[in-house]
Amino acid sequence: MSRKIIRLIFIIALCITVSSWPNAHADPPPSREYVIKAVFLYNFAKFVEWPAEAFPNRRAPLTLCILGKDPFGLALDSIKGKKVRGRKLVIQHLARIEDLEQCHILFISASEEIRLPQILSTIRGMSILTVSDMKRFVQHGGIINLVTIETKVRFEINVGVAHLAGLEISSKLLKLAKIVEDDKKRK
Amino acid sequence: MKMIHLDQKKYAQVTASIGLGLAKAMIGILIGSSLITICWAGNLEAAQKLPTDLTELSLEELMNIEITSVSKKAQKLSDAAAAVFVITQEDIRRSGVTSIPEALRMVPGLQVARIDANKWAITSRGFNGRLANKLLVLIDGRSVYSPLYSGVFWEAQHTLLEDVDRIEVIRGPGATLWGANAVNGVINIMTKQAKETQGGMVATGTGTEERGFGSVRYGAKLADDTYYRAYAKYFNRDNGVDASGKEMADDWEVVSGGFRIDSQTSDNNSLTLQGDIYDGHAGGTYKFASLLAPFSQTFDDDTDISGANILARWKHDFSQSSDMALQLYYDRTEHNEALVEEDRDTFDTDFQHRFALSNQQEIIWGLGYRLTCDDINNSFNTSLEPDSRDDHLFSAFVQDNITLVKNRLRLTLGSKFEHNDYTGFEIQPNGRLLWTPDERHSVWASVSRAVRTPSRIEHDGHYNYEVIAPFTPDNPTPMPALVTLAGDRDFDSEELIAYELGYHVQATSRLYVDIATFYNVYDNIRTVEPGTPFLEISPTSAHIVQPTVADNKMDGETYGVELMVDWRALDWWRLQGAYTYLQMQLHTDEDSGDIYTLNLEGLSPHHQLSLRSSMDLPKELELDMWVRYVDNLPYQNVGSYFNLDLRLGWKPHKNLELSIVGQNLLDNHHPELLKSEGEMSLSSEVERSVYVKITCWF
Repeated sequence: MSRKIIRLIFIIALCITVSSWPNAHADPPPSREYVIKAVFLYNFAKFVEWPAEAFPNRRAPLTLCILGKDPFGLALDSIKGKKVRGRKLVIQHLARIEDLEQCHILFISASEEIRLPQILSTIRGMSILTVSDMKRFVQHGGIINLVTIETKVRFEINVGVAHLAGLEISSKLLKLAKIVEDDKKRK
Repeated sequence: MKMIHLDQKKYAQVTASIGLGLAKAMIGILIGSSLITICWAGNLEAAQKLPTDLTELSLEELMNIEITSVSKKAQKLSDAAAAVFVITQEDIRRSGVTSIPEALRMVPGLQVARIDANKWAITSRGFNGRLANKLLVLIDGRSVYSPLYSGVFWEAQHTLLEDVDRIEVIRGPGATLWGANAVNGVINIMTKQAKETQGGMVATGTGTEERGFGSVRYGAKLADDTYYRAYAKYFNRDNGVDASGKEMADDWEVVSGGFRIDSQTSDNNSLTLQGDIYDGHAGGTYKFASLLAPFSQTFDDDTDISGANILARWKHDFSQSSDMALQLYYDRTEHNEALVEEDRDTFDTDFQHRFALSNQQEIIWGLGYRLTCDDINNSFNTSLEPDSRDDHLFSAFVQDNITLVKNRLRLTLGSKFEHNDYTGFEIQPNGRLLWTPDERHSVWASVSRAVRTPSRIEHDGHYNYEVIAPFTPDNPTPMPALVTLAGDRDFDSEELIAYELGYHVQATSRLYVDIATFYNVYDNIRTVEPGTPFLEISPTSAHIVQPTVADNKMDGETYGVELMVDWRALDWWRLQGAYTYLQMQLHTDEDSGDIYTLNLEGLSPHHQLSLRSSMDLPKELELDMWVRYVDNLPYQNVGSYFNLDLRLGWKPHKNLELSIVGQNLLDNHHPELLKSEGEMSLSSEVERSVYVKITCWF
């Protein structure tokens, strides 16, 4: 008899609730650190404004380029394809700095530390948001650096370089950042 | 006396089934009313946000997340200097499995053979059988390894699969941290924190072999930083069939429930309290030896299984490099099977402390004590002397992680020291070396010693194994010959020295490969030695007794390779493959009279292959396929088999998932392992089956 009760319950019914369902990806697990840093990249994209010339049209995607050894791996899956102010976030892995034209955000991996001066001089004048997590990135002319302070992620912003690149950084981002100046003052 | 015994059993069964019936009705009503409330209630308030969708967090919240857990150092898979495989919740969900043993089939190095509809023989690296004894299994730190026969009664483990966060399988002598009996591996089943299972979930389904199943779970916040969840689960599984397709009596029905409370009492203190309870029965067909012609009796019987456990765990962080954990649990199991009735109480306490000795050295050490008390009801065929026993187990371990070259070379030296009531002191040292040339690859090597301590039955047991009819080739005398199997107080621990080597690489952001190889040298493996036959006149007519005694007169070598590949071929298509190769070479000592145990070589397949494909199709559809190949078992003439499981899942709405799963589709029915010597329950074959399932969150 109890078996009949169980069978009766097997009705297909629609639940009309609203709540989020977690996207569980894990395998082999990208490190927790880069899962979180990837989401920071997505947030930077949300709170920075590029000049109109940076995009061919209103529907063109926002391109995040990774230069050097990719520390994110599968962590980028959580932000790939997300919409940022109406534009889709696409991800490109760059082998060489010559391919930079299409990039709006350039994440420079710590593996490129020695080549940093070359990279930054190549992109001078372009509207590219440079982000990294290598030591003293902003002091050397990068725009946003992700730093780890006591197990939590913080970021430093070099506003001067951002202005030179024609980028507008939202106050939402500025008030949470540590504002840093260049090592050498630029004219 | 025998008659009274049976009546008592029947009485117990009747009351148990009334209880079971009531419980079933209650679960049914609970599930039914939940579904009705959810489905007709219209828009309900959104449940608490689950923390895993980080892109929904604000910048402030994001900046508050810790990237390394301040408590025990969370090591990435690439840091592991051992053959590790992790089964994630996603793997469990997409494979369509309905029990933990079935999920274990995707792990390289494990052999999972279904004996009947509720019994499995699971082992790592050889020596399989229902009474496989070289694998340690833990659920949230609680051991489910039975000291009665040194193995796991898989039919008594009922974790709610949706609550499983991951299952870590470590093949090879479990690191010092787990101790004795983790000879060929450790399976660590970990459930999610209460914080991760908030809100409600109802899942229910039915099918051809899965007659019916349902589970309900609800989690909520109790206070700031304190979360709980509670669940109830019911399932009823159909019988298997024999080789001719006739239904057998191995159906299985269990009701279970439990809870978990997690509390972050302060920045560096966390407390967990959890418990479970279950009650059910698992059927089987048994063949007993009998002194009267035709000298064996075959009958169907239900094994009553029930149990409860409660566990508390306290973790305290001193600093980023130093923490401690204290765990206590109580576990009770009642296992009443045709051959032996066992009631067991276990009390266990465990302490661990980790600290940095210097910049290059990290020490983890710990102490443990376990008291296990049993009460056995002896029967004519199986008896233990004494029939009740309290065993104390004292253990200590120490492990030193030495960084020889920063981020490149790490040496781990450790040992576990135990004192048990069967063999006294046991020492299990272990050395591992991990070389990480860069973040992507790792090479590791290890040498370890491990022991498998004697079980209750091997020391205290007496078992009527079989009766050989008179005037037959094996027994030309005019009287029946009763072959008995007896334990021996001098039965020693089985020993293993394992040499392992492995390599893993994150080849590209989409491809991960892991290879592990091993060479195991065993000594003192259990054999059964014949003694001098003698005449006996009671309890029935005169018969010969051929006694056999447990001894340790076998040694051997096993070696193999285990390969795992995880490839995200396309954004929406993931492939996971596992291949296992195993060779066993066993030899009995010169003075051994055992001719059966060598057959263990022929009970493990040489090759096994598992290939899983997961496709995320448009319109929220998921198509998952799982192909398995298992080589033949030469000793039992169990043929090799290919099999296929298919799952189609559909998420029409964020909180609703429907799925239809077909299992073992390539064959009407096939055998995986037959009854071995020493086992009394007959095997059945695994049938092709289909089931449908609905899961709803609210």
